Amino acid sequence: MQVDLSLPPPRYLAGDLAIWIFILAELLAFGVFFAAYAFTRARHPALFEAGQQLLDRNAGAINTLLLLSASALVVRAVQGAARGDGARAAPWLLGAIVCGLAFLGVKGHEYALAFAAGVNLSGGPFQMFYLSLTFFHFMHVILGLVILAVLWHGLRRGHYGPGAMNGLESGAAYWHMVDLVWLILFPLVYVIH
Amino acid sequence: MQYKSQAVAKPYFVAAIGLFVGQIVFGLIMGLQYVVGDFLFPALPFNVARMVHTNLLIVWLLFGFMGAAYYMVPEESETELYSPKLAIGLFWIFLVAGALTILGYLFVPYATLAEMTGNDILATMGREFLEQPLLTKIGIVIVALGFLFNISMTMLKGRKTAISMVLLLGLWGLAIFFLFSFYNPHNLVKDKYYWWWVVHLWVEGVWELILGALLAFVLIKVTGVDREVIEKWLYVIITLTLVTGIIGTGHHYYWIGAPEYWQWWGSVFSALEPIPFFAMTVFAFNMVNRRRREHPNKAAVLWALGTGVMAFLGAGVWGFLHTLAPVNYYTHGSQITAAHGHMAFYGAYVMVVLTLISYAMPILRGRAANSPRAQVLEMWSFWLMTIAMVFITLFLTAAGILQVWLQRISTAPLSFMATQDQISLFYWLREISGVIFLIGLVIYLISFFVKGESRVGAQ
Amino acid sequence: MSGTFTKSMARNIFYGGTVFFFLLFLALTYDTNQALPKRDNSQNLTPEVIAGKKIWETRNCIGCHTLLGEGAYFAPELGNVYVRRGPDFIKAWIQAQPTGAPGRRQMPQFHLSDKELDDLVAFLKYASEINTANWPPNIEG
Repeated sequence: MQVDLSLPPPRYLAGDLAIWIFILAELLAFGVFFAAYAFTRARHPALFEAGQQLLDRNAGAINTLLLLSASALVVRAVQGAARGDGARAAPWLLGAIVCGLAFLGVKGHEYALAFAAGVNLSGGPFQMFYLSLTFFHFMHVILGLVILAVLWHGLRRGHYGPGAMNGLESGAAYWHMVDLVWLILFPLVYVIH
Repeated sequence: MQYKSQAVAKPYFVAAIGLFVGQIVFGLIMGLQYVVGDFLFPALPFNVARMVHTNLLIVWLLFGFMGAAYYMVPEESETELYSPKLAIGLFWIFLVAGALTILGYLFVPYATLAEMTGNDILATMGREFLEQPLLTKIGIVIVALGFLFNISMTMLKGRKTAISMVLLLGLWGLAIFFLFSFYNPHNLVKDKYYWWWVVHLWVEGVWELILGALLAFVLIKVTGVDREVIEKWLYVIITLTLVTGIIGTGHHYYWIGAPEYWQWWGSVFSALEPIPFFAMTVFAFNMVNRRRREHPNKAAVLWALGTGVMAFLGAGVWGFLHTLAPVNYYTHGSQITAAHGHMAFYGAYVMVVLTLISYAMPILRGRAANSPRAQVLEMWSFWLMTIAMVFITLFLTAAGILQVWLQRISTAPLSFMATQDQISLFYWLREISGVIFLIGLVIYLISFFVKGESRVGAQ
Repeated sequence: MSGTFTKSMARNIFYGGTVFFFLLFLALTYDTNQALPKRDNSQNLTPEVIAGKKIWETRNCIGCHTLLGEGAYFAPELGNVYVRRGPDFIKAWIQAQPTGAPGRRQMPQFHLSDKELDDLVAFLKYASEINTANWPPNIEG
């Protein structure tokens, strides 16, 4: 990728203001939920400790890598489109979608094991928070993938390019938000003891 | 008036205001029954008065919404209404059905009314706000479908604006979620769970789309700000509304037997519910500040700004006060709930309907705005009713805090009725505020009959 | 800072966000329905309870009382009245209405038969055994 460093960076918000308002609202909802998790964990440290031992941290780590890769691929796609090379950039987006689907597969496998072990929303504070936070995020990944699929379709048809980046940048920003939330969720729920 | 068929809105607005008066009169009767328990007993027991009070509110707001839609949609779609005759026919059906229902409440024992109207075939009656006999409920659905058909057909043949799309979505949602009023399982928890799909998903869901559309319409008209600007903010605000409000339904599921995770889901999302209301207030003030014209109808502008502020206070702030589960554990089903209900309904839905009426009624009567004298009177009524409602809310909140303390927190809890005796002072103060509200309402009515020529001709 | 803010993007987010959160609500509702049998005391929904609920409804009790905190706030909470007062008191109380005490709040006389009174009490007993997460805070409701 080539970035011309001689030009001052353009002072503009990548993507639509509307998506940023939505992203902020989503982050606020996640933020309050995370705070509630931390608050409750502080009140039941032993219970949460025991619950966290049962989580598969390797699966969480793989998923972290998958989402980070997806975000990097989305960046490549956006850069490609910005250079006017939308059609050649489309495969990057397809790669991101594959990573996202893989995330859903890994997470789905984790859920299947958890449900088989009797984990459910009414199974005490840890199980409630684990399922609520991860499922809320899981649904965001699905929505993000729907958005990426729409963008991929548009990119292949040449809808995005220099001067017509709004839709692509907005969708990419949303995907990065989904990624960012996982980067907080993973250490918070899986790692920190 | 740009389209002849907009005139069908007028009877709807007149009926709305008439029923509004009835609602307030019954409210005052109930307020007095709170302190003089046997007032009008046994002719008018409290439960009957309350049913009339709340049902009149719902019906007059529906009249207001329908009138607003009949006024707005032709103008937004730039075409005549699909069928003005249908609109007038449905008006009379709805008015007669509504009047018969209220008379039934007042003069027939409720159990007899239930037997007479087919409650044994499908039991739907006797649940708060959904007390209507089966026949009335079916009538509401028929009227709603006819109305939606008329409005949808009008839109289909004309211009489709964001405002009319949002309005239509809200109105369709209103009709669809009302269908849950026919679902009354024996299981009390499920009964309550889905009861909220009517009540909550109305007032904190689809009705807010209607509210947003009405407010946006009036703001475009009175400020002259670009439609594009107003419409995109409308979308943003209603997005925030539904993002927080749909899962926010959970704040009703804490103590009715639903799983306890609703305490978290409901608290997290309903804690965010003030945000869209705050955004709406900022939006309304911003648009008025950026106005590109001085609309002669100052009263309508005042109502529009008032809607923003009072909806934020009543729904946003007073809702937030008791929405978190640990707080709600103590306040649930107390006078705090009543305080919130009063200011939220007034601030959001009463005021937005009055905003639309204030804007549209002069035009329907052949002038851009009422005479300055009439407007001054209308603004007096605005301040009297609004300030009275603020005091009603404050007194009920005070009563609620005391009630919670005496009955639920103190180490020697009093019984319900002993607590009520202790807080009767606040009920008296509430009743006085209610009288002032009625005075404001009477002035509002008078403002329609004040003569004096407007300086600006009809548009 | 310049930026883009388009109506079409705002509209797409509105529709997308609405569908998303409604689906989430449906998912939680599904889970709720799965979890309810452990909490809602539905195993005790006898014909008497069902008949009692209908009496509760057709006398518009909710117009004055609350039940699990929902209803009017004019008269006492009845979700836990079975525990607070017991069956005999409830029946005697209903039959003794109205008290006619001057200036006091009055409850109508509903002329319920013994069977209807039993059904209503059965309904109130059933309601009192729903798991309400320890609400109300104390017996006074």
